[in-house]
Amino acid sequence: MTTIAETQKPAVQASAEVQAIHRRMLRRQRVRRALTYLLGIILSLWVIIPIWFIASMALTTPAVVRSFPKGVLPFIPLSTETMEFFLSSRGILPGIVNSVIVAVITLVLSTLIAAPAGYALSRFIFRGRDMFRLAILAVRAFPIVVLSIPLAVVFLRAGVYDNVYSLALMHTALALPTTILVLGSVFASIPYELEEAAMVFGCSRAQAFRHVVLPLVLPGIAASAIFTFVLSWNEVFAASILTVQNRTLPAQVLVNLNTSSEPYQFAGGFFMMIPALIFIFFIRRYLFNMWGQISK
Amino acid sequence: MASNSSTQSREQRKKSRFDWTPYLLILPSLIYLAVFFAWPMVRGLNLAVREDGAALALQTEPSRNSATAGQLPRGTEVNILDQQGNTIPPEELQQGNITTETWFQIRSQDSNGQPIEGWVSEQRIRVREADENGVPLAGTVRSVISSTADPQTSVFTEPNENSEVLGKLEARTPVEILSQTVLEVWYLIRAESGNGTVEGWAQSRYIRVFEDPSQGRIDQGNVSQFTTRFIERMLSDRFFMPAFGMTVLLTVLIIPAQFVLAIIMALVIQAELKGTGFFLYVFSIALGVSDLAVGILWYSIFTQLGYLNSILLSLGLIDQPLTYLSADTRYWIVIAIWLAELWRATSIVMVIVVAGMQAISREVLEAAEVFGANLWQRIRYIILPLLRPSLQVALILRTILALQVFAVVIALGGGEVVTVLANETYRQYDALRNPNMAAAYASFILLLSMITSIFYLRAIRSQEEVAE
Repeated sequence: MTTIAETQKPAVQASAEVQAIHRRMLRRQRVRRALTYLLGIILSLWVIIPIWFIASMALTTPAVVRSFPKGVLPFIPLSTETMEFFLSSRGILPGIVNSVIVAVITLVLSTLIAAPAGYALSRFIFRGRDMFRLAILAVRAFPIVVLSIPLAVVFLRAGVYDNVYSLALMHTALALPTTILVLGSVFASIPYELEEAAMVFGCSRAQAFRHVVLPLVLPGIAASAIFTFVLSWNEVFAASILTVQNRTLPAQVLVNLNTSSEPYQFAGGFFMMIPALIFIFFIRRYLFNMWGQISK
Repeated sequence: MASNSSTQSREQRKKSRFDWTPYLLILPSLIYLAVFFAWPMVRGLNLAVREDGAALALQTEPSRNSATAGQLPRGTEVNILDQQGNTIPPEELQQGNITTETWFQIRSQDSNGQPIEGWVSEQRIRVREADENGVPLAGTVRSVISSTADPQTSVFTEPNENSEVLGKLEARTPVEILSQTVLEVWYLIRAESGNGTVEGWAQSRYIRVFEDPSQGRIDQGNVSQFTTRFIERMLSDRFFMPAFGMTVLLTVLIIPAQFVLAIIMALVIQAELKGTGFFLYVFSIALGVSDLAVGILWYSIFTQLGYLNSILLSLGLIDQPLTYLSADTRYWIVIAIWLAELWRATSIVMVIVVAGMQAISREVLEAAEVFGANLWQRIRYIILPLLRPSLQVALILRTILALQVFAVVIALGGGEVVTVLANETYRQYDALRNPNMAAAYASFILLLSMITSIFYLRAIRSQEEVAE
């Protein structure tokens, strides 16, 4: 009898103890979660507040931009005047057109050239595969600055200097290594068995690719293409070196930076950020695929 | 990895037949990278250590196709022994009309003091009577030998082929040269023609500006030579040390702070709370923002009438706006650049770190937690060691990008007070029109990038060896 009582008693006590521990752990977990939220919110503010500032400057009147102390939206008048002033400045609209042309050519060229290489990396094991991967990584790591000067000299001699098409060729060279690795990981995420099954049912390799793989990888390819677009849209050093009259938007803004007014600068800065704000939202799910692959 | 193993088994089945498909698939990218990457890279390094036209090759005969007799550096004084008219083949001249070209037989001493003789084209040496500005004083009209072209030389009202023709001059007419256009493409000449005196513009290639010379100087070479001139000039450039020092300082300031911030961001995302998607979007926004835009963004905060002063003033901490981005307060410019780079480039490190963390198995972390490891211990002993490959890649990538920081510096420092290596490259190319010096700066950045990459790779490997 006593043994039963003794065995039961500690069990009851233990359960109380366990409950206490459980409560303590729950509390600790809740505190930790709250702290993590707090940290996340602070870090988000660190990113968002500067954007809020520049957006306030870009979306108001030039008179408000020049006033001091500076206010932020929605406490200052919302207006498109500053933006209109910027967009109607000399060289800005052609600059935007040039930037879009360069970015679109870069996107198309680099996707067309990189897709086969990415497919080869993900589907074949061939002699020299690791060498190829390593070479691509090395190319990715070389500085843009080193590439621009000799290309400028070469383009000058060939008579294709100051030309959006030659700038697009250069941007393609910059984007290609990243695009190859990213598309490689996009293809690798589609199981090879699907293709094999299609081939068992009588498709050729090309048919299997077109009807089975392509529909599945299109979103990934689109995400990579968007990223290439943003890369080219943002690139400023090579664009400043390789263009004189036909400047892209960042090159145009950079050249006028020291001589322009604050409304021009702030509107320009915000305008250049818009594609990033939109596109990163759409491709955020793919970012880890892209950059995660590069670190492997 | 299922796809990988099946590829392997397929490969084994097909072992007998060599598969060319992957090579065909990677061929376009290899060709593209060779043409637009490897070749320019080699040319860029070449540009930094080779000077075009530093020397002139002497020919054994008055013809471009003859053998080379030796080389003389630019600027050498030469004695002229003989001259001979020579017709330039049209494919070399690449112009519609064929004019005659005179070749000189010259004698001089080479760099070892040995006498050397050979033929050079008149285009390469300067032999003429000239005024103090280098404008020749007199010349004669050349003979034009061509079946299709006008044998006479036209004189125009303006230095422009579309302007009105004042008159035509026969070959060998003596002319007086009054002035010239930039690059000596046109001469303003005065000459006696059949119908009296003509004064107007003629193309310089139709006018011969020397008569029986005996002395000359090599004006323009056609051979490039190895030189350390550009590198020496770069090293002694007054902007070199400030730019180098600032680039290193910024790299050292930015990278550690960036990695700490990125790992914190990654931990917040790894906690997988509700709203992680929002945090993820916000943290990665900067990934797509251009460095120029970020520079301008932080300029709006640090400029004298900017947001920082507005906030401090409304909090009553200052009475009047302070100046941050001026030559007297260079440390504020450095702080502003540091914050801007931290804001902009942390996102890429964060993405790489998160991708690396996703590969760490959840069981390991849970086990550590069960055994009582606190957050710091888990980071120090589990997360960081397992993240090492990701961190290594991020470190190399970020250092190389930090070494070429450019637009942020221009936007916040104007490029004069605070300068960096990439900015000097741009200045040499754009403002000073010196591609060789720009290439020297660019090659220096490349060298720094390679040294740091190798350093990281070795440092991290030796750590692994110690651990073993």
